[in-house]
Amino acid sequence: MGFPHKPHPKETVVLSEHFGRAETRSLTGWKKVGGYQALTKARGMRPADLVELVKASGLRGRGGAGFPTGMKWSFMPKEKTKPHYLCCNADESEPGTFKDREIMRWTPHALIEGCAIAMHGIQADVCYIYIRGEFTDCLAIMETALTEAYADGLLGQGKGEMYIHRGAGAYICGEETALMNSIEGRRGNPRIKPPFPAAAGLFGLPTTINNVETLAATLHIVNRGAEWYQAMCLSNPKSVGTKLLSVCGNIAKPGNYEVALGFPLRDLLYDLAGGIPNGKTLKACIPGGSSVPILNRAESEGCILDYEGCVAAGTMLGSGGVIVLDDSADMVYQIMRLAKFYAHESCAQCTQCREGTAWTVKILEKILGGKGAMTDLDLLLNLADQMTGKTICVLSDSCAAPVVSGIKKFRGEFEAYITGKRQPALAFA
Amino acid sequence: MSTGTAHEPVFVGDVRKRLDETLSRYPTKRAALLPALWMIQEARGWISDSAMAEVAEVLDLTPAYVKGVVTFYTMYHQHPVGRHFIQVCTTSPCNVCGAEKVVKAFLQHTKCGDLGATSPDGRFTVIEVECLGACGFATPVLIDDDFIEHVTPDKVPDLLARYA
Amino acid sequence: MTAPAATALVTLTIEGVPVSVPKGTLLIEAAKQAGIVVPHYCYHPGLPVAGVCRMCLVEVEGAPKLHIACATAVAEGQVVKIFSEQALESRKSVLEFLLINHPLDCPICDQAGECELQDYVFQEGRANTRYSTYAKRFNPVEDFGGDVLYVPNRCILCTRCVRFMDHVADASVLNVSERGDRAFIGIHPDAELDHPWAGNVVDLCPVGSLLSKDSLHKARAWELDKGPSICTGCSQGCAITLETRANTVVRIKPRSSEVNKYFICDHGRFNYRWMNRGDRIEAPLVADGGDLHAVDWDTAMERAAGMLRGVKGPVVVLASPSTSNEALAAAKTLAGSGFIGAFRVPRVPGEVPLNGVPHLALREERAPNVRGATDLGYREAFDEAVQQAQGAACVIVLEDALDGVTLPTRTLYLGTSLPTGARNAQVVLPVANVAEEDGTFTNRDGRRQAYAQAKAAPGMARPASWVLAALAAGVAGARA
Repeated sequence: MGFPHKPHPKETVVLSEHFGRAETRSLTGWKKVGGYQALTKARGMRPADLVELVKASGLRGRGGAGFPTGMKWSFMPKEKTKPHYLCCNADESEPGTFKDREIMRWTPHALIEGCAIAMHGIQADVCYIYIRGEFTDCLAIMETALTEAYADGLLGQGKGEMYIHRGAGAYICGEETALMNSIEGRRGNPRIKPPFPAAAGLFGLPTTINNVETLAATLHIVNRGAEWYQAMCLSNPKSVGTKLLSVCGNIAKPGNYEVALGFPLRDLLYDLAGGIPNGKTLKACIPGGSSVPILNRAESEGCILDYEGCVAAGTMLGSGGVIVLDDSADMVYQIMRLAKFYAHESCAQCTQCREGTAWTVKILEKILGGKGAMTDLDLLLNLADQMTGKTICVLSDSCAAPVVSGIKKFRGEFEAYITGKRQPALAFA
Repeated sequence: MSTGTAHEPVFVGDVRKRLDETLSRYPTKRAALLPALWMIQEARGWISDSAMAEVAEVLDLTPAYVKGVVTFYTMYHQHPVGRHFIQVCTTSPCNVCGAEKVVKAFLQHTKCGDLGATSPDGRFTVIEVECLGACGFATPVLIDDDFIEHVTPDKVPDLLARYA
Repeated sequence: MTAPAATALVTLTIEGVPVSVPKGTLLIEAAKQAGIVVPHYCYHPGLPVAGVCRMCLVEVEGAPKLHIACATAVAEGQVVKIFSEQALESRKSVLEFLLINHPLDCPICDQAGECELQDYVFQEGRANTRYSTYAKRFNPVEDFGGDVLYVPNRCILCTRCVRFMDHVADASVLNVSERGDRAFIGIHPDAELDHPWAGNVVDLCPVGSLLSKDSLHKARAWELDKGPSICTGCSQGCAITLETRANTVVRIKPRSSEVNKYFICDHGRFNYRWMNRGDRIEAPLVADGGDLHAVDWDTAMERAAGMLRGVKGPVVVLASPSTSNEALAAAKTLAGSGFIGAFRVPRVPGEVPLNGVPHLALREERAPNVRGATDLGYREAFDEAVQQAQGAACVIVLEDALDGVTLPTRTLYLGTSLPTGARNAQVVLPVANVAEEDGTFTNRDGRRQAYAQAKAAPGMARPASWVLAALAAGVAGARA
């Protein structure tokens, strides 16, 4: 349901059914709506069968990369010789994205149930739920729910242990190997791969990392079957199931909307989310969280929201954080603001990212300050090229994506600052 | 530069018990570092160099290692801050919804003057923070552990009145 | 398992050169076999791989992205291009990024001339910067304690120093502090970088960011002459390079070997000032009416030969275990059948290991050739030998300080300086020190290792092995 708004008939409500209802937060409330039946069912299955079920469902990772979840699980050693770990990635920090927060706030037991199901599938002994430090409300709600689950005998006593690990302010910890380092008590630096987590992950042991939304979806797959899940598809059969889309920015009804994959972005913006307010029109949209290329109005209105549709439109589905910018938005300023985010969050390991993100900000500030030159645009593009596909993780690629797409699609706005047609937006020394 | 005044240990009594319980959750002592740092910040409001040395001692790490970790995570305060710590999200989605005006309102009404500075009465410190993950509820503000949504400049005075 | 399994070889092509290397070899190491050093900063064979500087990105045919040579294992049939347009462009870009905040202060930087940033920028970098109008990041120089200064403005954050302290020294005194372009190498304010092996971080630093206070502004790198040597600081036998300027040893650096990998301890590193001491014996001396008089070598040698010619009975050799195997062997030959060899070893209790390298430590025996002397039949029975010396036919002393020892006048003294105890010797012969001669030491594990001359000996001093061998020949010639 389109929390905090009334559900729209075009939504396909699965994960968000109970958003906004405080009663499902409690264990009793959750059980009243059928909670933990899926877990019981899953625990009655052989782990390999559970993995096959998730594989068959076509569920793909909802954190951003869209990797098939069942396949990820299948990478874990079949013959268990040492402890296995599950990490739940609840470090939701991708600008524009706020869906995992709602899952944890309203249906904490859905996440616990999903985690417990995944633990059974990958034969994990321990699950750490890594929640970003700023999510104080989610942390409290999840702690309470976890205490209830333990008290009810759902966890512990040989059924696996589940703990919450609080982050402390680092976007990059949402990258799975950085997340593991953070749990281990290290700086949240992404690790070079190989080794991959399924071979040597948390504490050097086989580990699977899944996003909150992904894990929450598994319980519905267990309850209702792979075919049911597969059937929720409006376009490409490789993109199935529902996706929570967080709509924010210049939009009449910001919030989370749950739709079957293949849903048109146009309908999401204009029907579900009420269109652009204040008599403005759509200028640009970033449909997958701030790390994906920006779409202009025409591209946005033609974009199909699934993994393939977004690629066809020249962007990515990412985490499903839909940032909407109206015709009053200063694209140069907003791109600078995004670049600043990445410069702030760069872990400092890779040269291109550490230096490139900060330099990108400086050039954009120079342009915004009326001191830019046309060659600065070429320089920005050249830096972006060297920041793409060269580093351990994709943070620097993410900084480059809005810069490249921004200059390509809104070049005139950059040039207006450079030629003096537009007054400087900030003071530049 | 030495840290000067003697450090009162944090990990005694109940806090030590909490740490021991936390240690039981992980196969290594090192993994309890982030939780241990949270415990220090809860007890002292910030994490001093001597507190880093204490946590290093307790977890068999070195003070330098701990400092490297503390400086990585922006939520750990390396300096004392006001009694109430205010974090305003100003990343793009909130920015287009007027977050910068919210920051200005906070700076003005708290009398902090500058970002990161503490108000003369020691009550507040205001910072801009990168994406709080509540973009649909712009502008979200974190005051201490209270996550507040939909903050607009006009709501700031009433909001501040709740924090003595 | 009865026999060790043969290591499978993988064949690949690097810059057109076919190479076969053991499975699991990293591309950066395989490239060395093709004669190519892939430009790199964070990679160091003695440290765990970090893969962060991104300098060693190379093209692997068929792969969509460039690969870091330091963390990519070889694969059969791989075709690797190190100098492809894409790889060159990527390195050029990394170099530009590394320089945007760099102070470009090579004229006053100790690393200039041996700086990998300077070298690679010269080799592959841009001629100019595109980062012109912005202020550079600035952080003040910090004294890390011990011998090390940190110049953060020159730092490229390769983290070699941090990894050395964490994983090799096993003492995490350094860290990476902060994030993004604000990051720097940090230390806890109450800690010091005074670990006994900490000096290695200066060698590991590929740029001029970590400097040795001991050699601060002492010499420009290109003024230094370098000679391979073996450390005399203890019996471990670490390979070192003696670096000299104007016939003066100014710096010791580790040289890679199986014994010490890439590292030396600070005790060995700073154990060089004595090599330059000024109070050297520069001419042969012979006793004449209770005084020692300077003479030419022929006179002195004839006098010495006369002492040994036709001797019967014990000839006691008191030798320092810091002298070469060659000198020790020649002295033994010279002594003939009456040879009684002895030495004493300065000892400092407690070994100082480098935890990350097996069998590497600063050893208790603070002399390089204890094992060599022992193998040649010298015994650590100095006091007993001094007793025997009183009635010996002849006494030969090789560079022992003779403190508290009084020897009979039938003493031939070979040394670098003239201690009080040697003043009643018949003949005193000036010899070269370790920096001034070629020779070998045998380390505690029986590994015999050569060292080479790095500077000229003062005055008329000659290597002890030459002198003793010539003497032995002279004595034997007369016998025959």
